[in-house]
Amino acid sequence: MWNKREDESVRPPTTTPQAAQASGAVAARREAHAGIGPAISIVGDITGDEDLTILGKVKGKIDLPRHDVTVGESGKVDADVHAKVVSVAGEVRGNLFAAEQILIRRTATMLGNLTAPRVGLEDGCCFRGSVEMETPEKGRAASVQPARAPAATLPIKPSGGSLQAAGSPGSGMPAKPEVPPVRP
Amino acid sequence: MLDSLPPESRHAVLDLGPPLACNIKILSGLSCRVRIADLHRSLSAESLESRQPEAMGALLERLLPLAPDERFDALLAWDVLDYLRPDQVSSLMARLAPACRPGALALVMVSTRRQIPARPARYRIVDRETLSCDDPLAPARTCPQYTQLDLARMMPGFSVRRSFLLRNGIQEYLLAHDAEAGAARVQGARAASGVASERTWFRRGRR
Repeated sequence: MWNKREDESVRPPTTTPQAAQASGAVAARREAHAGIGPAISIVGDITGDEDLTILGKVKGKIDLPRHDVTVGESGKVDADVHAKVVSVAGEVRGNLFAAEQILIRRTATMLGNLTAPRVGLEDGCCFRGSVEMETPEKGRAASVQPARAPAATLPIKPSGGSLQAAGSPGSGMPAKPEVPPVRP
Repeated sequence: MLDSLPPESRHAVLDLGPPLACNIKILSGLSCRVRIADLHRSLSAESLESRQPEAMGALLERLLPLAPDERFDALLAWDVLDYLRPDQVSSLMARLAPACRPGALALVMVSTRRQIPARPARYRIVDRETLSCDDPLAPARTCPQYTQLDLARMMPGFSVRRSFLLRNGIQEYLLAHDAEAGAARVQGARAASGVASERTWFRRGRR
C-alpha cells in the first residue's frame, strides 16, 4: 500500500490529449498578440502580422493593416498608424488609418487625423484633428457609435433655426414657433 | 447652415468646440470632413504668458495648424467666443478668415447675460432643426456680452445673415464670409503691390 502511494507521487500527472491541444491553442493565441510594455521605448517602423498592444513609447510608423492596434493608458505613440481597428486610451500624435474602426477612449489624448469607416469618441476625450468617414453610398457601413450615453441634456430649439435656416427660400420649411420638444 | 452643405458635394467644417460623436456623425452624413479644434480646452492648457495679445498669433499657429490649401465651408464657433478676449477673437478670425471659402457660413452663439458658466456648453446636433446642450453649469465668470457691432469689428469679412435670440439668453448669429469684401481687399492689396487684378469667380461652397 505504501509503495503504491510512492509510485503515484513520483508518477507525473496524466493529461488528456484534448487538454493538451486546448492549452496549446491558448498558447498560440497568446503568442499571436504582441505587446510593448510600459518600460519599452521603440524608435522606428513596426510591421507584422498580429495584433499589437502598446503600453510604452513608440516613435516612427506602425503598419499592421490586417490587425488591431491598441494604445493603453500608459502608451505614448508619435507615429502614423495603419491597422484594421485602432483603439486609443493613451497619447497619440499622428494620423490613424483604420480599415474598420477607430475608438478614442475617454482617457485618450489624440492629436492627428482619423480616417476610418467608423469612428467612436468617448465624451471627455481630448482630440484635435479632422475626421473622415466613408459614406454609405460608397458601399461601406459608416456609423459613429458614442461609447457612452450623452449627459442629461436640455433640448434647445432656436426660434428661427440658424442651423436649419427655416424660412429661407431654399429650405422649404416655414419658420416654426418655439415649442419645447416632447421628451420620452 | 446645414442646408448650405448638400451631401452631393464634399465640404469641410471646422468645429471650435469639443469632440462630440453625435456631431461628427451628423456632419459626416452630409459628406463633410470635420476638423475638431476644441479651442477652449487647448487655450486653457497653455500658460498665461503664451496667451498674451502679442503671442496669440504664434499660439494659434501652433494650436490650429492649417495646411496651405486647407479651406472650410462652415465654421461652428458655438459659444466659444464668449470665452475669448476681443483681441483673441480678432487674432482667431484673422487666422481663419483666409481659410474660409467665399460664402462660408459661421455659427456663433454669444450670451446676453451678465454671467456665464466657467466653460463653454457642449452643443449636440440632434437633427437639422434641433440642438441640445448639457445642463448649464452655475454662472462663474463675467460675460463679455458681445454685440453684433463687436462681432463685425472682430470678424472682418463676415456679415450677419440671420440672428435669433433664444429663450436662454443666447444670441445666435449666422454669418457669411463676404466674398465681395474679401475680393475687394485682395484686389486692393494687389493694386498697391502693382500686380494686375484677376477676375474672380465665386461659387457657393466651392473655389
